[in-house]
Amino acid sequence: MIKITDEILNKYIDSELSQDEIEQVNLALRNSEELQKKFNALKLVHKELLNFREDEVSDSFTNILMKQIVIKKFVLPKQQKYFIASVAAFITLLCLVIFGFSISALISSAPTSVDHSKSIVDSISYMTDGFVGTIKKLFSGTGLSIIGSIFSIIVLISGYFFFEMQKRSKANLGNGHHL
Amino acid sequence: MRNLSDQEIIDSVRKGNDSDYSIIVNRYKNKAFSMLKRMLKNEFEAEEILQDCFLKAYRSLNNFKGESKFSTWFYRIVYNSALTKLSSKKRKTESEMTSVEDHFNLESAYNTDEFEKADVSKLIQEIIGKLPERYSAVITMFYLNEMTIDEISEVMEISISNVKVMLHRSRNSLRDLILNSRLAEELI
Repeated sequence: MIKITDEILNKYIDSELSQDEIEQVNLALRNSEELQKKFNALKLVHKELLNFREDEVSDSFTNILMKQIVIKKFVLPKQQKYFIASVAAFITLLCLVIFGFSISALISSAPTSVDHSKSIVDSISYMTDGFVGTIKKLFSGTGLSIIGSIFSIIVLISGYFFFEMQKRSKANLGNGHHL
Repeated sequence: MRNLSDQEIIDSVRKGNDSDYSIIVNRYKNKAFSMLKRMLKNEFEAEEILQDCFLKAYRSLNNFKGESKFSTWFYRIVYNSALTKLSSKKRKTESEMTSVEDHFNLESAYNTDEFEKADVSKLIQEIIGKLPERYSAVITMFYLNEMTIDEISEVMEISISNVKVMLHRSRNSLRDLILNSRLAEELI
């Protein structure tokens, strides 16, 4: 004969008892008014819980959420923004250095006095030729290989940081929910 | 479209049909909201956290391997987000969360004498909100979301027997509340 505890009554309600146990509970219920009262109350709670009503979110919930999804999809993540900005800043800086170098080379090779030139047009033409010449010099032979090496290093470093960033953002998104 | 399974919808969203995600949202929003509302005891916060949960689930859809049901995976996000919110609010939930051996007394928290016979349903609904967070989560998942004990234990990351203990304890306290009320004679 099993002892009719609260746990047994709960198991009875959840149909987790064997046939033999069910018969013993039925017998105990017939013989004890107190137990019957307890069981009926539990059954009432179970019945009411089965009619559990769900609460409703606001009507605009889905629309607001879907709008957020669309917005977030087209907005770059903060990390990615910083990455792109830093690469762009580095390239701009490099271009400025090349430009500055070309200008300084041009100025140093330009005639010292305006008197020596025939006209302003000749002077501009001379400066343009000099600029083109400097650029040509810079992008040929040793100059080109130096620039190529610098760009290769930039690409390698950028690639490394980009890979690390992707790895981190993937880990953040996963948030440990790998079910 | 509405008869599609969760997995079919997820596959469609993964292919780029973002609007299909709204079917999933509509399917789970009220059930998840009910759970969050009872855990956080605050309607506004519950809706805010629910939005975060759906966004988190959307962004993590590629990590969903389909080894368990989508609902189990999603409710786990919801449950964990609620716990994070609760701990960030520095409520005294830590002691409640470590064990199922905690004691709660609904009778001191609720005066059933104010209720009439016809209000029993309302009374029970309200009392569930008075249960400790994890207990109300179990009740909501079991009765409203119609999840199995196994699924609940997967969501809460506790043993099956612990889920049963929590379920039984919640029911017993609701039962005691009814038995000790002046309505007992009328109802039973």
